[in-house]
Order: sequence, then structure tokens, then C-alpha cells
Amino acid sequence: MAESDPTIKDFEAAIAELEGIVKQLEVGDLALDASLKLYERGVQLSRFCHARLEDAERRIEVLNERGELKPFDDK
Amino acid sequence: MSSLFDLPFEEEPEPERNPEPGTGNLEPARERERRVYTVAQLTARIRALLEREYFEIWVEGELSNCRVWNTGHLYFTLKDTGAQLKAVMFKTALARLRFKPQDGLRVVARGRVSVYDPKGEYQIVCEHLEPAGVGARMLAFEQLKERLAKAGLFDQARKRPLPALPRKIGVVTSLEGAVVRDIIHVLRRRYGNAHIVIRPTRVHGENAELDIKRGILAIGKVPGVDVVIIARGGGSIEDLWAFNEEVVAYAIAGCPVPTISAVGHETDVTIADFVADVRAPTPSAAAEMVVARKADFQAGINRLTDRLGTTMRTRLAMRERHAAELTHDLRRIVRARLSARERRYQSLRLTLETFDVRRRFAAVRTRLVAVDGRLLSALRRRTHAADGRLRSAAARLDSLSPLAVLGRGYAVCWNQDRTQILRDASTVAAGDGVRVTLERGELQCEVKQSG
Repeated sequence: MAESDPTIKDFEAAIAELEGIVKQLEVGDLALDASLKLYERGVQLSRFCHARLEDAERRIEVLNERGELKPFDDK
Repeated sequence: MSSLFDLPFEEEPEPERNPEPGTGNLEPARERERRVYTVAQLTARIRALLEREYFEIWVEGELSNCRVWNTGHLYFTLKDTGAQLKAVMFKTALARLRFKPQDGLRVVARGRVSVYDPKGEYQIVCEHLEPAGVGARMLAFEQLKERLAKAGLFDQARKRPLPALPRKIGVVTSLEGAVVRDIIHVLRRRYGNAHIVIRPTRVHGENAELDIKRGILAIGKVPGVDVVIIARGGGSIEDLWAFNEEVVAYAIAGCPVPTISAVGHETDVTIADFVADVRAPTPSAAAEMVVARKADFQAGINRLTDRLGTTMRTRLAMRERHAAELTHDLRRIVRARLSARERRYQSLRLTLETFDVRRRFAAVRTRLVAVDGRLLSALRRRTHAADGRLRSAAARLDSLSPLAVLGRGYAVCWNQDRTQILRDASTVAAGDGVRVTLERGELQCEVKQSG
């Protein structure tokens, strides 16, 4: 699992928020304090996204009639 | 399906006129009863029989498996609920048709029945086709489509966006055939660590639609599956029919996560395509839609992260420059002010030093002592003179005092509040109080009459 951060909903939300932060910073009429806070948040989101990309397990499963997940015979 | 037509006719085969086996009188009767044909002989006889009997007939049925070969001939199957009939229409006859033969279309065909000897299969060679109203399946399709559209299953507002990065990708398809391999291959190539959950189902045949429906329901419940591909390879419209069934439509609509339909080839359109959140032209295309390339994701995130860093650095540098400028200004102003004060202080000090303060004090003290002595004697003289003047003034004051007048028997009449001396009787009325001052004491009186 990626670092579970209760303030980040999911990958999409993280990307969207990161984009928003970059734009906000680029417009640049924020106080230094506020922009530093945004920057920190941005770094956190970027880390989350990278982690999430590596997160999925390389795995193929088959869901059978009994509702059981079995490994797929991937020849 | 295609075995019959692996060797399409280039021209109509010449009926063979094989001579029948000898039936000479010399043959024993037993030999005549046991007549052994070669396969070719029997086939030829059957063909002759069929061609004689059905050399020009009309037959009604539904078109299926329509396929034009590169020879230009059309091969197809005519079918109805009970039977199927292989059929061919040669290029020249095909060119004369005023409509395009399509699967599902009900037609009336005119032609002759023939046998293709090498395969021992009979077929109808069509001279002419005409549509016999819309095929029953097509009609059912249109009706279901209309019904589901009315029920809102195709509404654009219902369409959900696919997750950008699915956690687990659900696939409902058959484990037979290339489709499942294609999907896995594409997913692996794009997103190496993709987690795939496959729900095998039958995708055609009796009650396949129920199997598909169960598959969709089941896979929608697997924790982590956040998108579902419903896929099937190409085939005839009958092969794809399960995906035109209402139960499948409702299963897709009810799927708790977004769905991608990928049924048949690009030109095949099924009800499932209308209901699914996204329609993919092919199963491989569905796999491409479901997840972007991992490298693209990484590049995208890196771009954002770089922009974040660059912006912040720029902003910090800007602030730093600004702060440096301010500091510089401040220092300049303070220094300017300090030097002004300094100059003023120095000049004051200089001025001060030019006075010899102590000498000035000594002179002042001498003058003070002298003044003091003169002041005292003058004061004494003046006090004495003032004394005499005071006594004579007191004597004069005494003679003017009203008390002296009262001593001679006069009285003073005041109003009640003793604020005013009364000089005019009309200023008081009967009943008013007045005060009367005598030489000794005062009277409180009430006016009985005035004026």
C-alpha cells in the first residue's frame, strides 16, 4: 500500500490537487508563508502519486463461480 | 463455419455425367441388389437429383455470416428457427442487388440447390435476393434499444469517468480464444504491475447472457476492482447476441464501478456498447483505454513536481532579493538620519563650549545678592506706607457701610430669597414673603397688600 494519508482521497484527487497547487503557486500572489505550506503539500502529493504507481501488485487472478480468487495460469 | 467455403467456386462446377455402374443382364441378381457406388458416383447422383428437383426455387430466411470473398462472391447462411442453409451468390448476381445483404436481414432468395462435390455439402446458389422486412433479431434489437433508451440506460449523464489509475482491473470474458490474452498483453505492456481479475464467462450460446450477467455482478463486488472490461472477440451477429440481451444491459447499468464494453469488431454495435460507460472498438483498445502507460504517468507527475520546485525556488529567490533590497534601503535611511543627528549634536556641543557656564553663574550670583538687598529695603518702605493708607481707607469705608445707616434706624427690605433689595412695591404681590434687615437681626414678613 502507498503511504495511507487520510488527507488524500485517491490518485485522481492527488493529481488534480497537485495541478491546482502548481497553478496557484505560478500565479504567485500568495504570502510566503502560504506558498511554503502549499509547496510542502505539493511535495507530499507528488510522493503519494509516485508511490501509488508502484503500488499495484503484478498479479492476475481468476474469480471462479464460487466467488474464489485463484491465480491465473499465465503461460 | 468457413470450412465449406475454404475453396470458393470460381465458376459453377460442371455436373459430372458419370456413367452408372454396369447393369448387364449377365450379372447375378445378388450382385444387382448389392450395388456399390463410389463416393463420387453417389454424390453425383444426389447432386443430379437435387438439381433436377430444386433447379429454381424461392426460400425465405434470415441472413447470417454474410461474407464477401476476395473473389467477389458472397457466402452466407440462410436460417430460421429450425434450420440453416448454406448459400452462395456469385459476383455477377450480387452486382445486380439493390440492397446490401447484412446479417440479421430476413430475405427471400431465388436460386437452385447444388452440391459441392469435394466437400459433399449442399447449398443454394442464389440468383436473386430481396429483403423480407426487417429481420426478427434486428427488430428485437431496435425494440430493446428503444425501451432501454426510454428507461434512461443510455443517458450521457449516467456515464462515469474511468479511474485514472485503476487499483484492480476486472475483465469479464471467455478464457478461450485470443481476447483474454490480448487484454493481458496490452495491460502488461502499458502498466507492468497492473493487477487483473478475470471472471470467465461463456460469451455465446444458450443462456450465455445469464452467465455474463452473473460475471458482471460478481466482479463488481471484488474489493479493489474499480473498473470492468466486458469483452468478446468478433463473430456473427448471432455470436454476439448475448450482449444484446436486456439482462446484460441491466447488469452493466447496475455495475458499481465504471464499465468498458469491447464486443466484436469495431463495426459491431451491441446494446452493451450503449449502456457501458465507455465503448471500446476492440478488446485490445479497451485495455489501452483502461490505463495509461506507466511511463506517461511518471512523466506527468515529474513535470508537475518540477514545476512545483521551480516555482517555489523562483518565488523564494524573488523574496530574498526583495528582502535584500529592503535591508539595503533601511540601512541607507538609518545611516542618513544618524549622520544628520550627529552633525547637529556636534554643532550644539561646539556652541555650548563657547559659553563659559561657571563664569556666567558667578556674575549672576553677585547681581542677585545686590538685587536682594535693595528689594528688601524697598519692601519695608512700601509696607509702612501701605499701612497708613489702609487705616484711612477703613475709616472711609465705615462711614459708607449700610450698617451705619441701619444704626440710624433705617431698614433694608429684601425679597424672600435675599437676592435682591426691594425698591418698588409693585415687584411684590400680596402673600409674598420678604425679609427686612434691621441694625440688629432680621424679620421674616408677609406682604398683605402691595402697590
